[in-house]
Amino acid sequence: MEWFLKNIDFVLGLTTTHLWVSLIPLVLGSLLAVVLAKFIPRKLVASTNGLLSAVYAVPSLALFVTLPVLIGTSYLGPTNVIIALTIYVIASMFFSARDAFSQVPESANFIARAQGLNRWQHFIHVELPLAIPGLVAGFRVAAASTVSMASIGAVVGVRNLGYLFLDGFQRKIAEEVTAGLLAIFVIAIALDLLIWLIGRALTPWARKRAVSV
Amino acid sequence: MKKTAKLLIASAMTAVLALAGCAQTPSEPIVIGSQAYYSNEIIAEAYALVLEDAGYTVDRQFSLGQRDVYVPALLSGEVDLFPEYTGNLLQYFDATATATAADDVYSALTAALPAGLSALEMSGASDQDSYNVTANFAAQNNLTSIGDLAALTGLKLGGAPELAERPYGPTGLDSFYGVKVEFEATGDATVEALVAGLVNMANVYSADPRIQQLGLVTLADPLGLFLASNVVPIASDAVDQKARDLINKVSQAMTAQDLIAMNVRSVQEQLSPNQIAREWLFSKGLIK
Amino acid sequence: MFSLADLWMWFAEPENWLGRYGLLNLLGEHLAISLSSILLASLLALPLGILIGHLGKGEALVVGLSSISRAIPTMGLLFALVMLLGIVNRELAVTLALAAIAVPPILAGAYSGISTIERSTKVAAIAQGMRPIQLIWHVELPLAASSIIGGLRIAFIQVVSTVVLAPLVGLGGLGFAIIQGLALRDFAQVTAGAIAIVLLTLFGNLVLGMLQQKTRLSTLRQIRAR
Repeated sequence: MEWFLKNIDFVLGLTTTHLWVSLIPLVLGSLLAVVLAKFIPRKLVASTNGLLSAVYAVPSLALFVTLPVLIGTSYLGPTNVIIALTIYVIASMFFSARDAFSQVPESANFIARAQGLNRWQHFIHVELPLAIPGLVAGFRVAAASTVSMASIGAVVGVRNLGYLFLDGFQRKIAEEVTAGLLAIFVIAIALDLLIWLIGRALTPWARKRAVSV
Repeated sequence: MKKTAKLLIASAMTAVLALAGCAQTPSEPIVIGSQAYYSNEIIAEAYALVLEDAGYTVDRQFSLGQRDVYVPALLSGEVDLFPEYTGNLLQYFDATATATAADDVYSALTAALPAGLSALEMSGASDQDSYNVTANFAAQNNLTSIGDLAALTGLKLGGAPELAERPYGPTGLDSFYGVKVEFEATGDATVEALVAGLVNMANVYSADPRIQQLGLVTLADPLGLFLASNVVPIASDAVDQKARDLINKVSQAMTAQDLIAMNVRSVQEQLSPNQIAREWLFSKGLIK
Repeated sequence: MFSLADLWMWFAEPENWLGRYGLLNLLGEHLAISLSSILLASLLALPLGILIGHLGKGEALVVGLSSISRAIPTMGLLFALVMLLGIVNRELAVTLALAAIAVPPILAGAYSGISTIERSTKVAAIAQGMRPIQLIWHVELPLAASSIIGGLRIAFIQVVSTVVLAPLVGLGGLGFAIIQGLALRDFAQVTAGAIAIVLLTLFGNLVLGMLQQKTRLSTLRQIRAR
């Protein structure tokens, strides 16, 4: 406890950075993935599937270090880590988003068309709400992996909670490594809970049905 | 891209400390970087504290990873001041460098540095690659110098993955001293691997406090296989003369023993780099 | 700084393929570490997942465990385990840290494979006088095989790309090419290492995918034959 109590402000600062570096890719990547999953031409689905599963297989460390060389971003700062994590979020959310949209019942689509909704209204008022449970489930998975994967960014100079692993291992301060593990864990659980609550709030009908069953 | 990145770091790092809308200082802050190495961070912290004490505004961008990450940042002006090591930095800019003595390395480095960067005064403190064995192994085989290893067979050398390709790695050991080794990449756990007997000899930084703590024996290097690697501040043109003078005083005051003592405090007392640097500067009369 | 020609040159150099830290040996180590972690994870997760699916109880455990374990940063866990177990046991530490990320998909695959089997199928088997063990062995496992392999497939993808961290604690695998390449500013080597890992993943994905397809077909055939 001693190390932690002495360094509590420091850990909080790292936590703030960690949150930033995880939340931006999560929000950005999910939005892009949903748009991609919904509006991609059918011809391109197979090749996008293939490309994204290949991307998903690229080790994060390798992507962090090669991005500045490949696309000319600055070596310094969290940009590379944010871009790389965004790519992983897209890869992971693309599949769950396609699943979520495919589970929208055909009857709902039929009724919507019968009511004369245009494509945009159909998407906003029918498809998106009905896909929310699937999207939320995918988002929870992406959130937990992103929060833990962000820590590898510390290896390439992003001072987030992963710093505690590197520094603690060098200095053999077990408590420092443990503090990092716990802090990431707490963030991930809190985020998971938050997403779950938001998902519940967005789908009041699902709760009612669950009660009646 | 760069702007966003800077903005992000700035907002994220200072969010807890500073409120938005605080009074801006008229001068640009001096951005100080450090490696992801606790000892380097202590030195960077010493630079920061001395400059702050003299009224400069300082932006700490610590633990920036390896040279690949931060040297381009120094060149592009994203970082202004960085504690470095003469030998290792010389090798970064000139892989074929032949100088090994401290002064030769320093002058080779000043020549090799790209325009816009300058090496300030180097310190007597050094933190360089060295080959170490356990006290037991040294006693059993009567080892004091690297050359003594030539009589042994089946040696296993531990070190970071890149040691395999460094001029002072397995190839250099053979050509300088006739020592033949099998290389074993032991990563961040090199000292542990040596103590556990997974390797017989290991490349350890000379200021690593565990050399003293664990009673490791550093083998002498009479033929100059290793480059001397003294602590040296690297400054961009954005660092003015007054600031340079202040940093030079830090370099002059820091002895090899001081650096090791600070590292020992870091791993034993587990103090923050800020506290270790502040107390050392205070003991040297460099800050009030 | 880096070009496709450099990458080609790197691959064309026999020295980069052979020897202790050559690509081939690293590939072998990478596969060995990955497979032993997946094996360890399977020993734990398969029986547990099958049991939970069979009993139809403990779904909360599966969901909870899988979301919790995703939040564990492997790098931190790896360092903590090496400090705890000692460097001599680094192989065990790496295997455990990687098994931690392989458990949830394997568990979920086994659980969902069995729990989604139609109730009527199970009832019919019980009515024929099958004991629980027979029910699991002759009915549930064959029907869940495809889903189980699907879980292993996800575990494989995640583990193979995470073994990259092993060199941080002195073990090999393709991460060596990446971490050494980074330190030596050899981006051709970094890229080559990453490509090798992606190919390994895609290959494993393909093989397990074909296996999954095959089990699905053979299950269908068995059902039709009855």
